[in-house]
Amino acid sequence: MIKSRPIYDNFRIDPAGRAHLLVTDLSRLPVDVLPEFSDVETWVVHVVAPGIQAQDVATKAFRAVADLLASLGARLAREPVGLRLYAVGTEPFLWDVNNVARAAGLGGGEIFLKHAGSLKRRVYCSHCKTMNEDVTKNIVKCRGCGANLFVRDHFSRRLAAYMGVAVDAEVPGEIPQVEVMYP
Amino acid sequence: MIARIANVSAISETIKRIVLEAADGSALPAGAPGAHIMLNIPGPRRVWKNAYSLVAFGSAYEIIVRRVQNSRGGSAWLHDHAAIGETIEISMPVNLFPMARTAQKHLLLSAGIGITPFLAYVPALRAHEKKFEWHHCCKLADAPAFAALLPPGREAILHTQRKTLDLPALLKRQKLNTHLYVCGPAKFMDTAVEAAQKLGWPGAKIHTESFGGATGGAPFRVKLAKSNIALDVGPEESLLEAMENAGLNPPCLCRGGACGECELPVLEGIPDHHDHFLSDSQHKTGASMMTCVSRAKTPELVLDF
Amino acid sequence: MNLIVKPPETFRGDFSMRNSEAAILRFPFPFHEDSYMYAVNMEPHVSGGPTAAYDAVFDLDEHYLGDMQDRALVLEEDPARCQVLPHMMDAEWDTLELLMENIARDYPEHFSLTRDGDNWHWVNRPMQIDDTFTFGRAETLPYPPFEYITRQVQGDFTIQDQRDNNLFMDGGMVTSQADWSLNFDLGMAFHEWHGPVPVAHEIGVFDRALKYLLRLQYGKPVRRLNWTLTVNPRLDTSPENYPLWGPDKASVTPANVGEKMCLRVELQTLTRLPRSNAILFGIRGYLIRLEELARVKKWAKRLHRVIRDMHPEIAEYKGMVRYRQMIVDYLAPFDDGAVLNPGTAPEQSSL
Repeated sequence: MIKSRPIYDNFRIDPAGRAHLLVTDLSRLPVDVLPEFSDVETWVVHVVAPGIQAQDVATKAFRAVADLLASLGARLAREPVGLRLYAVGTEPFLWDVNNVARAAGLGGGEIFLKHAGSLKRRVYCSHCKTMNEDVTKNIVKCRGCGANLFVRDHFSRRLAAYMGVAVDAEVPGEIPQVEVMYP
Repeated sequence: MIARIANVSAISETIKRIVLEAADGSALPAGAPGAHIMLNIPGPRRVWKNAYSLVAFGSAYEIIVRRVQNSRGGSAWLHDHAAIGETIEISMPVNLFPMARTAQKHLLLSAGIGITPFLAYVPALRAHEKKFEWHHCCKLADAPAFAALLPPGREAILHTQRKTLDLPALLKRQKLNTHLYVCGPAKFMDTAVEAAQKLGWPGAKIHTESFGGATGGAPFRVKLAKSNIALDVGPEESLLEAMENAGLNPPCLCRGGACGECELPVLEGIPDHHDHFLSDSQHKTGASMMTCVSRAKTPELVLDF
Repeated sequence: MNLIVKPPETFRGDFSMRNSEAAILRFPFPFHEDSYMYAVNMEPHVSGGPTAAYDAVFDLDEHYLGDMQDRALVLEEDPARCQVLPHMMDAEWDTLELLMENIARDYPEHFSLTRDGDNWHWVNRPMQIDDTFTFGRAETLPYPPFEYITRQVQGDFTIQDQRDNNLFMDGGMVTSQADWSLNFDLGMAFHEWHGPVPVAHEIGVFDRALKYLLRLQYGKPVRRLNWTLTVNPRLDTSPENYPLWGPDKASVTPANVGEKMCLRVELQTLTRLPRSNAILFGIRGYLIRLEELARVKKWAKRLHRVIRDMHPEIAEYKGMVRYRQMIVDYLAPFDDGAVLNPGTAPEQSSL
């Protein structure tokens, strides 16, 4: 298992935190997360969120991820030290949240991530720098330059994406079996 | 390298500023805020190796030496005997207390001689236009000396009474891109760090520099297996100092139990740990120890050196 | 140091690059024994070593102009090969000072540095550069400080910020890399950017290396060697341009392996920088064709054995699967099976 690939474990409320905020791009929180975080201020994406009883949690709902991230940046700019930020959801979302949080000054020990939902990946094309979203297969045709990219496990937190490198550069057309790897 | 004392000036009865230049007139290696140098101080019966923060650097290094009653000896001797023109051996600068470069605000807390690293921070903070706030605590009798050292401006505040510094309120109102730096006596630092942690400050935003964490203790004997030497470690000296005084050259860097450089394997005996580097389980197994600050629980230790 | 700079040869296209006899004999051959395994293998970076490549603090050689020309071409095509994150400006100046001081001292007939307080005057005769600037004020230089000086020194460089008990690759000039991307790896922590390297993680090489580097002292730089194989003496073997150099790998035949296959060695240096407390990582690359290397008898025999007996995962990671056997077959006739001395020195003073 490649060392840059994120490992998500120990997703617990940090009792040393002064305040806590949970954000998710899912329409419902995973069952193992819900009980512990039931009293935590929670931001979700969807106006109507089946599975979350609005009266049970302090819930703010956003129309889309972009909206949530913008509000998160504004909130963190005003926030005193002591906040712990938790994010649950798909990988691209987790690391976009991480980037907003880091830019605002949160660091290790203050940001907690947990992957849930689809394994779909954001893939960076090494040859033209284009981001390819929602990748579920091991090979993806770059929407920027058309290269057939092998989806590697090497992950960049800064770019919030996995590395894609041409799979048939040595012998053009020689492409391995395409399969769904990240449903 | 060999330095020459270019100037000695008294800031108070107990505090002196010493200016050092390279003895051969060459340019000194670049310093940095938070860096310290080691001085080899030649006492009457032994050589002390003490660390001093650079309060200024550039064409010369400036350090501040305080004469404290129960000083380990080196600072007292240096304070009393340093004279212009004398040469003294110094190390290259080492920085174990750098400023966090990505912080948007720096909150400095210091007490007593802990003022020194922050004196070097201020010019850099001003040059890069970084926000900072500095609270320095000292005894009433020392106030004139420290007031003279603190920079002018609204950022630095001197406290001579405990009650004028409301630590929890100060810590609570900092925005989240603030880093905290603490320097001073152990008890002062523990109080400040504990207060910050209670309010949810994460460890990565709390930076501490301790000076010479080595205190004395019960004497003990040490056998150095590889060197084939047996030594007595006296009550006033650290294990590291005892080895150096015996003419050995064991590894060391910070001399404060923080960096891990002086770690040596323990072959026999039970060490008495005073360091901040090894983990709790490493302390329990006692398979290695930091010679600069730790001592012994058993009358004798055997080390792999 | 005696440095004769050749007119620029090419490291792409027609690959006109050739090593003179002197360049062959000073090559930093990396194998000190007949087999290869990862190790931390850092040693003090002092002047002098098995060949003349270890004499200078930052080694320059006859390929200086060719290297720098290739760098300029890469940057023209892809400016993202040189990036420094905004908080690393102190490290940029530290790097400029370190490289200028050492190059000027080691090669005084080609470079000179005069300093009057913060007013600096830098002359680079081979590249016909003559600049005065104010140290600490980036607007007085034609490029930002790190880019400015690394455009004039052979080898790739990265600057690593030390914080949170870790090292972060927060800047770099990376135009002659062995297949890794600065734009992708920028900002990564130590274990992350080493992620793709197989085997080494299991045996704890990177844990120990990181601990050691966190305590790297100012004034005590260290060095180590890394190696790989490259088809054609191509400097820019980046992931970005893999579509350009990838096909070369399938073009190796037993008839051309001696000429096309190159051993690529990186003499890596690690230096603590004073103002930023960062670490400058120098990756000085050297290329030699197998047929050039084989003129040193000891190296031909040793390389034959190392490639023949390599750990399969390492062979795969080093990308040599397609032509490994061809290399072994090419070198076999040079190997009489004699016992070789340990160490990397050529044990020949002429070819």
